[in-house]
Amino acid sequence: MATTNSEPVLTKEYFLNLGPQHPSTHGVLRVLLKLDGEYIVEADPIIGYGHRGHEKMAENRTYKQFMPNPSRVDYLSGFLYNHGYVLAVEKLMGLEVPERAKYIRVICSELNRISSHLLWFGTFLMDLGAFTPFLYCFDDREVILDLLDYITGSRLTYCYCRIGGVAKDIDDQFIEGTLNFIKRLRSRWTDYHNLVTKNVIFIHRVKDIGIIDKNIALKYGVTGPNLRGCGVPYDVRKAEPYEIYEEVDFEIPVGEKGDIWDRYMVRLNEMEQSCRIIEQAIKKLPRGPVKASGVPVKIEPPKGEVYFPFESARGEAAFFIVSDGTEYPYRIRIRVPSFSNLQALTEVLPGTLVADTIAILGSIDIVVPEIDR
Amino acid sequence: MGVERSMPLDLLSKTIENKVPEAKINETDHSKTGCFLEVVVPVAKITDTAEAMYDELYYLEAITGLDFTDGFQVLYHFNKFETRDRVVVRLMVGKGEKVPTISCIYSAALWHEREVHDFFGIEFEGSPDMRPLLMPEDVDFHPLLKDFGKVNAYHRMDEIYGDDK
Repeated sequence: MATTNSEPVLTKEYFLNLGPQHPSTHGVLRVLLKLDGEYIVEADPIIGYGHRGHEKMAENRTYKQFMPNPSRVDYLSGFLYNHGYVLAVEKLMGLEVPERAKYIRVICSELNRISSHLLWFGTFLMDLGAFTPFLYCFDDREVILDLLDYITGSRLTYCYCRIGGVAKDIDDQFIEGTLNFIKRLRSRWTDYHNLVTKNVIFIHRVKDIGIIDKNIALKYGVTGPNLRGCGVPYDVRKAEPYEIYEEVDFEIPVGEKGDIWDRYMVRLNEMEQSCRIIEQAIKKLPRGPVKASGVPVKIEPPKGEVYFPFESARGEAAFFIVSDGTEYPYRIRIRVPSFSNLQALTEVLPGTLVADTIAILGSIDIVVPEIDR
Repeated sequence: MGVERSMPLDLLSKTIENKVPEAKINETDHSKTGCFLEVVVPVAKITDTAEAMYDELYYLEAITGLDFTDGFQVLYHFNKFETRDRVVVRLMVGKGEKVPTISCIYSAALWHEREVHDFFGIEFEGSPDMRPLLMPEDVDFHPLLKDFGKVNAYHRMDEIYGDDK
């Protein structure tokens, strides 16, 4: 039975279904893997299990009736979508929003961004087999959910922004809670870094694996922390500043190679930057109304179209709205970052090991219902 | 808030004009539409246009379909990582007309084209993969067509965009 070294042992290629119900796919995602032994030859993500037809719903609802939908597109950064949607409609209408409302929206948005990154941190490490960090960061995330619950009335699917402002003003209790939370989160960094970042098992599983370079990003339209991981400092908050992002000082963390490690570090550093934005926004928070006066009851934007991009927790998301001058939008198209980010996996996965697939899938931080819309 | 375009306008226009002399290039108001430039090209020339965009290092943001009584529009939004520079390429597609695929240039286009095919039934010629993406395999309808389901309005193109397009 001895085989000589000169003749390679040929194995038969076979298919493996990863998902649709698998804890590491973060939703109902199926990846059809063509395998050669432990190595991936081809990966074909199959999506659409969570398609709810938000874009068709939009055509049958008025601009106001559509308000609860955006936060359900991506339920982990619901506030950012809620925020993005009202900004798009406001831009279409040419509506000016009071300064205080802008600040409140940004504070809540950045809190939501941190909560989304914390959830990613926990679930990503759970994918890698580390259960403890999950408990730590859900503990932290709970504080944000409580804070946002207190001010918006919901824990995940927020509908707090209004066309022309926000639903109600924030109070001292919220501000105090937010500042306390930032203090608490900062004291946690050491724990996180000691538990995870300096963990040698973790380092071996993420360094030089799943590289998304600039070329792949360009071809697939990869944005967000996945793009910044390979060293491109592209962030919609800086590139096309909306709200008050021009007035606050923050940096765009970038990586070098674009491997899992870089994406991990970018997200961790982004949380700190979000803390900085919140602190500055609270410091500068002006007094005044939180709703623009004279917003019509019937929202009827003039005929035309608008493409409004905003930075969601996962990259560049956008609302593209075509208005026919009535209170029903003619078409709303939602550009979701995970859609492009996931597609890039068809190029990243081939050649890697099955075990690394889980790590790579976790590291690009997808939310499947966001892709399916 | 005024956002300035950070690239000289004529650079891209020249690249597109060299490749596609028929292209109609208009400047648009970024503060109103979110785009700096609008390029209208004939359907058959979309591959050449996409090549020009790729040469200039643009990435594809999204492909959007729009349904009107007198035809479809297919919109390609492009942007740059380094500079703020959104460009929309607009195709006027007749009912039943096929659109050449750009997935050979932008890999991202494959899924976007499959999505447009799901929702509007527009065929993309030369695409290596036209399986349904978001819809189940066995559906025989296209949900975002304006004559499907409950419909509030079904316009001609000029009713929204005026007569110039």
